[in-house]
Amino acid sequence: MANQIEVRVPDIGDFRDVAVIEVMVKPGEAIAVDTGLIMVESDKASMEIPSSHAGIIREIRVKVGDKVSEGSVILTIEAAAATARVAAKGEEVPAPSAPGASVAGYGGKADIDCDMLVLGAGPGGYSAAFRAADLGMKTVLVERYSTLGGVCLNVGCIPSKALLHTAFAMDEIPHLAAHGVTFGPPQIDLDKLRASKDGVIAKLTGGLAGMARARKVDVVTGIGSFLDSHHVEVTTAAGKKTISFGKAIVAAGSQAVRLPFLPEDPRIVDSTGALLLRSIPKRMLVVGGGIIGLEMATVYSTLGARIDVVEMLPGLMPGADRDLVKVWEKKNEHRFDNVMLQTKTVGAKATKAGIEVSFEGAKAPTTPQLYDLVLVAVGRSPNGKKIGAEKAGVAVDARGFILVDKQMRTNVPHIFATGDIVGQPMLAHKAVHEGHVAAEVAKGEKSFFDARQIPSVAYTDPEIAWAGKTEEQCKDEGIKIGKAVFPWAASGRAIANGRDEGFTKLIFDETTHRIVGGGIVGTHAGDLIGELCLAIEMGCESADLGKTIHPHPTLCESVGMAAELFEGHCTDLPPQKKK
Amino acid sequence: MQGAQGRAMSGVIDIRVPDIGDFKDVPVIEVFVKPGDKVKAEDPLVALESDKATMEVPSPRDGLVKSVLVKVGDKVSEGAVIVQFEGAGAEQAEARPVVSAPPSPVSAPAGVADVRVPDIGDFKDVPVIEIFVKPGDKVKAEDPLIALESDKATMEVPAPLAGTVREIRVNIGDRVSEGAIILSLVTAGSTMQADGPPRSPAVSPTAAVEAAVVGAFDEESFALAYASPAVRKLAREKGVDLGKLKGTGNHGRILREDVEAFVKGGAQTTAARVDGGAGGIELLPWPKVDFAKYGPVEHKEMGRIKKISAANLHRNWVVIPHVTTHDEADITDLEQFRVQMNKELEKSGVKLSLLPFMVKAAVASLKKFPEFNASLDGDTLVHKNYWHIGFAADTPNGLMVPVIRDADKKTIPEIAKEMNELAKLARDGKIKSEHMQGGTFSISSLGGIGGIFFTPIINAPEVAIMGVCKSYWKQHSPDGKTVNWRLTLPLSLSWDHRVIDGAAAARFNVHFAKLLADMRRVLF
Repeated sequence: MANQIEVRVPDIGDFRDVAVIEVMVKPGEAIAVDTGLIMVESDKASMEIPSSHAGIIREIRVKVGDKVSEGSVILTIEAAAATARVAAKGEEVPAPSAPGASVAGYGGKADIDCDMLVLGAGPGGYSAAFRAADLGMKTVLVERYSTLGGVCLNVGCIPSKALLHTAFAMDEIPHLAAHGVTFGPPQIDLDKLRASKDGVIAKLTGGLAGMARARKVDVVTGIGSFLDSHHVEVTTAAGKKTISFGKAIVAAGSQAVRLPFLPEDPRIVDSTGALLLRSIPKRMLVVGGGIIGLEMATVYSTLGARIDVVEMLPGLMPGADRDLVKVWEKKNEHRFDNVMLQTKTVGAKATKAGIEVSFEGAKAPTTPQLYDLVLVAVGRSPNGKKIGAEKAGVAVDARGFILVDKQMRTNVPHIFATGDIVGQPMLAHKAVHEGHVAAEVAKGEKSFFDARQIPSVAYTDPEIAWAGKTEEQCKDEGIKIGKAVFPWAASGRAIANGRDEGFTKLIFDETTHRIVGGGIVGTHAGDLIGELCLAIEMGCESADLGKTIHPHPTLCESVGMAAELFEGHCTDLPPQKKK
Repeated sequence: MQGAQGRAMSGVIDIRVPDIGDFKDVPVIEVFVKPGDKVKAEDPLVALESDKATMEVPSPRDGLVKSVLVKVGDKVSEGAVIVQFEGAGAEQAEARPVVSAPPSPVSAPAGVADVRVPDIGDFKDVPVIEIFVKPGDKVKAEDPLIALESDKATMEVPAPLAGTVREIRVNIGDRVSEGAIILSLVTAGSTMQADGPPRSPAVSPTAAVEAAVVGAFDEESFALAYASPAVRKLAREKGVDLGKLKGTGNHGRILREDVEAFVKGGAQTTAARVDGGAGGIELLPWPKVDFAKYGPVEHKEMGRIKKISAANLHRNWVVIPHVTTHDEADITDLEQFRVQMNKELEKSGVKLSLLPFMVKAAVASLKKFPEFNASLDGDTLVHKNYWHIGFAADTPNGLMVPVIRDADKKTIPEIAKEMNELAKLARDGKIKSEHMQGGTFSISSLGGIGGIFFTPIINAPEVAIMGVCKSYWKQHSPDGKTVNWRLTLPLSLSWDHRVIDGAAAARFNVHFAKLLADMRRVLF
């Protein structure tokens, strides 16, 4: 069953009567969707026009030198009934009676029909789905795992915080000896610790499932992949299900990068594996000195492991200003045997005794080192290439990111994307806001992702948190800044807590006195940074912060005091020199 | 049984409302098909009417209408099923993009565009002194790509469209001329914001959609605007580009009130800014009167078209120094001729009013006085070698000015016929903006109503407009002794004093009147 299709020039923007400078195909040739057909040249640019359909070329209707505009017929192709690309939105093509389903257009029936399909139930995905449902869209949420919440709730932010809380409490206890309160050495029951962490996860994911039900969001468990621009196929435990949708939001996240030269071995893990807490190693190597690696290093070290870190860059926790990191380093020296900066991991051998890892670079030990556990935390890569995006016509870049505009729209106008899959930083709180924008735009609202800052927090001990521009960024961008640093050594509360090593730093635009960024290192820095986030978004001036009464005695006071310091009238520090 | 199964196999095809841009819950104002109808691809199925436009939803395919799921008055949005077709098998499986919607996104060229050195004046073989991008960079339209340095100047070559840089084809030190390929861009469709200036040839359908939503926002200055998140959200909703706003808060902070005030005064502010000619006019605030104090009142918001024409008329009135010259034309003979021609043409169905004759007379006058067929572009006068005559049409929605293109090449009956068609489209709210573009001169006729003289407002960027009122019988003495009764048409020509002077306007009127007095003069 063949049918003839006219392939026309699509919307090419403002151009009309552009000259054909090259015809790239000839009659009889078999072409796929997106095969380049002709090259046209305007006074501004030349561009290739790809085919909208697959099939065999019957007749070419243009020649070099012809002028074409949107809608001009380029050529006709003969296509099997089913290969015609479904172009009109929301339309279904009847089931093909000819065998050989096409790669580009889905012609079958759908098991579920919805207004909004969200692929992935991490923070970006469930937030988008819940928002869409609240806006009145019939929403389906597809998630490969049996629980909602994605990496964040199941194998990321939340379980790591559960363990870090335990570690923090354990680290505090010996200090109480100086206060005259002494406890015995800790007894660690790993099974119980694991169970308590899993309890935290279960409480949250269960809550999410309930909220999905309350919103009548249809959760389909299985791996989803696009069939075309209006259909997704989900491979579930009970077989394949096809879902047809009006709009879609891709929130398929990212996964930990694997190092190809490391062998398959249960003693080599990523963050997910480390959170399983199978055993407490004696010697542990953390590959990658970023936030995830150092948080896990904190947990394992408190539980008794000796830690080595290897990092290719010249410093740990890249992205944060060095003055913040320095405070953390000083406080955490005791955890590490070796911090190998500017050093690469080049090979590993799994032996009975452990994993034998060899290094190269500035701080590389001369001989291979033996570890009981190796945590690979060298970054995450987006899942853009694993969801059949090409079948929906969604553009994915070489690294696997889906490109979106400020309304989270992909190149396909009714398909949106949010979270890790659209770019850095890969953070849950960014994904949530993006997800809301995507759902609102899909519903027809004029929402934009207009955030001016996305905070980062390392939940180490002490915590490091920063928002807006770092000093380093300001320097690179040539912004004239003034900064104010309030040392916690002058904070009554920090001293009372026995943790006065931290400081609060505010960064102001020198000319406007508006806050452009800030960083905090110290206990609970992650909670304190919220005030700076709001201040940056509001464009607060130093006086706005300084003249706001903060409660005493608290750590958050340090924000107000730093602002007073910038204004030149802080009375909690020795007298300042006149500016 | 078998038959039933066969039917089930072929199934039912849902035809849905395609992407209709920004609109939601648009009422159906007409349904063109009924069950049993055979329709072809592109046949209209229903007509929808938003506050901005009337649009027809054409069928994406051939088919047999099985059922119609909407009725007049229903409100529909994108994706709503309008009709169901009998699934007539695969012989027409081609689904086609819809006229009013952007074409299939998947066929949009998420292609590769070569960016070339644009016209850089007289320069050739200019060295590249800097390359601002590298492969993988995302660029927006107008982002600088490279810098060239001639012996006279350094210039940046901006990106003509948004995309991701794939390959850079020049090195620092290379000498390039107009047309040389600089780099290739993966035009990732809409992946970049449509925030470039309107001339940026965005390749994607989304870009067009977005442009409609947000207009030409300068995203960079929006991101720097001194405004809180709540104010930014409000600005997005109202379509206000914050970068163009001055805040009245502390140290220039943009407040909620600033955005609201901008929206209210938006038309005027924008118009003044666009033209630049009205800048700096300081006016007293508009008198605020509580009318209800003096009697019962009713508040009715102006229609969309009314608002648009109001903003345009206001700009034109403020910017253009208008002068109106009045004259009279003797149309006694013309009226006789018109009546006679109407009799002769009775069978053809064409009915001539006076207006087509005036269009012809206008063309002949414009040819004799070309500065009336011109536009002002800065300090340059653009003379147009085409004669597209607009005519003001009174419609239930407000004033519209459809344009008769190439009026010089059309016969009077042809013009009459086209006028009727355009006027009908305008009255039915189905006229497209292209029908109202490209005019070089306009005629506003109140002949059917009354009046003697008035001051028509020039339809910028045109430089003159002819207003005519109701013709009347007037005593006329050719010699001061005898008296004749002549059918007299009052003429009111408004002209832009920046371009035209009084003597020329008087001559134009006299000539125009002479032509109407004896249409044979059109031939001369």
